[in-house]
Amino acid sequence: MKRMSTDVLVIGGGSTGVGVAWDAALRGLRVILVEKRDLTHGTTGRYHGLLHSGGRYAVKDPQSAIECIEENRILRRTHAHCIEDTGGFFVVTPEDEGDYPDRFKAACAKVGIPCEEIPLREAFRREPLLNPRISRVFEVPDGSADSFLATHVTAQAARQAGAQILIYHEVIDLLTEGGDGDRRVVGARVCDVVRGEEVRIDAAITVNAGGAWAGKIAAMAGVPVNVIPGKGVMVAVNHRLVNTVINRCKMPADGDILVPVHTVAIIGTTDERVSDPEMLTIEPWEVDLMLQEGDKLVPGLSRSRILRAWAGVRPLYQEGYTGESRDATRALALLDHRRRDGVAGFLTITGGKWTTFRLMAEKTVDKVCEQLGVERPCLTATTPVPGAEQGHYWLGHRLHEVEEARLQGDLICECELVTRAMIEQAVANNPTVTLDDLRRDVRLGMGPCQGGFCTFRAAGILHELRLHAQETQAQTDVNGGPPWNVAYLQSPRHSVQTKPAAFNPKVSPLDNPNLLLRDFLQERWRGLTPVLWGRQLKQERLDELIYLTIMNVDHLPEDGEASPLTEFWRFDAAGAKEDGQ
Amino acid sequence: MMLDLLVIGAGLTGLTAALRAAEAGLRVKVIAKGMGALYWTPGTIDVLGYLGAEERAVQRPWERIDELPERHPYRIVGVKRAQEAIEWFRIRTAELGLDYGGRKGGDNALTPSPVGAWRPSYLLPAGQRAGDAEDGRPMVIVGFQGMRDFYPHLIARNLEAQGQAARAAVLPWSVLSERRDRNSVQLAEALDEPTTQQRLIDALRLVVKPGERIGLPAILGREAHARVLTALTQELNAAVFEIATLPPSVPGIRLATALRRSLEGRGVRVEIGMEAIDFHAQDGVIEFVETATSARPLKHRAKAFLLATGGVLGGGFDSNPDGRFWETVFDLPLTTPQDRRRWFRPLFLDPQGHPALRGGVAVNDAFQPIDAAGNVVYANLWAAGGLLAHADPIAERSLEGVAIASAVAAVEAIKLGSFAHA
Repeated sequence: MKRMSTDVLVIGGGSTGVGVAWDAALRGLRVILVEKRDLTHGTTGRYHGLLHSGGRYAVKDPQSAIECIEENRILRRTHAHCIEDTGGFFVVTPEDEGDYPDRFKAACAKVGIPCEEIPLREAFRREPLLNPRISRVFEVPDGSADSFLATHVTAQAARQAGAQILIYHEVIDLLTEGGDGDRRVVGARVCDVVRGEEVRIDAAITVNAGGAWAGKIAAMAGVPVNVIPGKGVMVAVNHRLVNTVINRCKMPADGDILVPVHTVAIIGTTDERVSDPEMLTIEPWEVDLMLQEGDKLVPGLSRSRILRAWAGVRPLYQEGYTGESRDATRALALLDHRRRDGVAGFLTITGGKWTTFRLMAEKTVDKVCEQLGVERPCLTATTPVPGAEQGHYWLGHRLHEVEEARLQGDLICECELVTRAMIEQAVANNPTVTLDDLRRDVRLGMGPCQGGFCTFRAAGILHELRLHAQETQAQTDVNGGPPWNVAYLQSPRHSVQTKPAAFNPKVSPLDNPNLLLRDFLQERWRGLTPVLWGRQLKQERLDELIYLTIMNVDHLPEDGEASPLTEFWRFDAAGAKEDGQ
Repeated sequence: MMLDLLVIGAGLTGLTAALRAAEAGLRVKVIAKGMGALYWTPGTIDVLGYLGAEERAVQRPWERIDELPERHPYRIVGVKRAQEAIEWFRIRTAELGLDYGGRKGGDNALTPSPVGAWRPSYLLPAGQRAGDAEDGRPMVIVGFQGMRDFYPHLIARNLEAQGQAARAAVLPWSVLSERRDRNSVQLAEALDEPTTQQRLIDALRLVVKPGERIGLPAILGREAHARVLTALTQELNAAVFEIATLPPSVPGIRLATALRRSLEGRGVRVEIGMEAIDFHAQDGVIEFVETATSARPLKHRAKAFLLATGGVLGGGFDSNPDGRFWETVFDLPLTTPQDRRRWFRPLFLDPQGHPALRGGVAVNDAFQPIDAAGNVVYANLWAAGGLLAHADPIAERSLEGVAIASAVAAVEAIKLGSFAHA
């Protein structure tokens, strides 16, 4: 068995885990991060993309609100290019009566969130589609964040500081030593799920950043951690109905946030306590509720073309809490299992939200340093990640570069303006096992046609890269991994100007283009089925014409083999059996 | 003068029906919202490629028709009449310069798809016949550097995995065009030019080995296809075939163009950009259909109406989040479940297809739409093609066969003097 050793083992490749790896590496600790799939595969990659100002929690959860506004200010500097400075409105609709708006304004002032009531005329000028019956509008510094990019560049920053990031490495067991009252976690046994190899990692301290899965990880050390999995459903509308984040000015509830993200707008979200974080099934009533609530912000939203629906599971945590997940605190929770459970060398960081991931990492690594007996200050608040010098994201960024560099003929995904060079750079620069990984890197297949045209093209390109790679010497880091230069992956111009990076087949061992195709089509289908009607159904039927009539992809050779996504597939099919279909 | 027949829809069903009706001496006109789905399809005539969950392609489609659901369009038409309809179509398109043909004995041909899977088709246009698996000779699949809709290595890999000797070759993009942002249709237009043809022939000479069949993306001329195909075959002394890839699809466009020209030659108008938005019926008889235009609604009167608007893809059906699925012109009764939880199966590639896409307009033996009780909905309305119930032409790979067979059968029924009410 391959054996590795480190100071800090981080479990979980979401924003929190990657943040912990970055922080710890900047403080000079040796770090290994393991993630069972791709970075942001869990909740980080399944949220609406809101960079909170804290306004949402100002009345109900002031501690969370304070954390949000402080982190909002920091992330705008350290992760500038991952954020679009949309600003945010809190709007009072006819249904939001009572004294909440005034309490909201006072609470924002109290916790230090800049909040200004703006004239309605000004609000409707900026957002003409807003419900004309809105009576008051408050402006706050909300933003729109790209959590895929932010996590990937944070991982790049962590690697540059010396951390190792191992994706598609799933923890099988935590290694413990000692008996009752004197137990400690000394590392983990993990499985490289792509190669099917086991790896033993010895670690002085293990940080459980498993998010919604943190309870399962902790249970491996015999420690009960009662994460409250709160499922949130989000629905993407096919264009930006608004350019500003719109929040309902009321106590947080379902379907009261509308976030412009890249080329779409996302309405969210529900909060349903579920038994299992893998339970991402979306019920028709959940989608209906989102559309119904969305109509209150932007009348007619429910009649726009709906692209996709998905669910993420919040890792809420409240010691001894048994109530509804909507009312559980959004504050972060750092559990020191030595003090709490008598198990040393083991911390769990959970709760919180994307906006506060850096703070969560800071507090966690403070505790790590304390337990390791080292004294090193946190540097993340003042260290920009690679690419931050590009400044804030703006909507026209890709189109502008495609037009200026005349790359129209090289668009592989026309919906999201992904060029061939962007795909080539993405697979050369960070591990790409599936087309879904590529989606998280460059937004492949995220637009209106949901992969109709680009799935085939990307599979063809990846296959050609692999053939070509066998003849060239790929660039790798000291560990034989790819270089992870992801800071400029979003730039069509930069991708085409950069020397084509050689693709290293060793880091992407999934060799079968037929599986890439099949798995990505299935992955897109999962998000489509809850919202397939009207024009989106027509689009889907075109995709069927392409993949069945034209391509015959359901009759390709060797398509029965397992892939890292097959497990999800089985889950889709199993869910159907329970419904008796 | 009053039309005998108004055909709504300009896809393969509508154009075929109009041609058949004109041939029978009916005064016929076609109105349609758009250009029809032929612009997206590979231009082959697929009769029946797969049956249910059976992994293997159907070998002899006409021998398997009785395994389809009882009210499947083919079973209403009957095997013999369906075969006659396809044969009639083959002869007519041959007269239009499209030389469709298939394997002997009524077997499905198998040609490479753009991912290298074998597509089962009953008839192939001349430009695709040399790709049939039956031939057995090795293939060279030739692509163009940077062409985003064609990946020769992927095709060759999968053909090899299925026992077909195949290799890939890539030619410079500049053989075809100086501009990078050209799609298949524009490239086909470029190849209508003799100079581009010659450049392609010269480039191919350098990569093709003796005895190899040459597979190219379906861009071998839009108007001059027959000449391009002959020139390549003769100059290279090799069998040449096209592989139709992502839409827009040149072989489908060639077929649509030929059919429309033939109709125009017979004085049949095909009016595109005419979306049917309303209709008027009295005593169960449709008097006119109204279409939207920029100026004012137009009324189209006819003795008989044939609905050929296609299924979901053609725009024949629409649906909403309340779970309602409806037919867009006459709001005809549908067999589709009116509950969105029952529309789809959890796996995209489920061999059974999806219930929402198998539902449609139920018809009687004369292809007249009927309600759940079996009563004819309108005395002078017929339906054919993709909107018919109990078939999923995309899952079955029966798109063109169902279109042609049902269009011909519907026109025959209309001809049989159903004009008593007029």
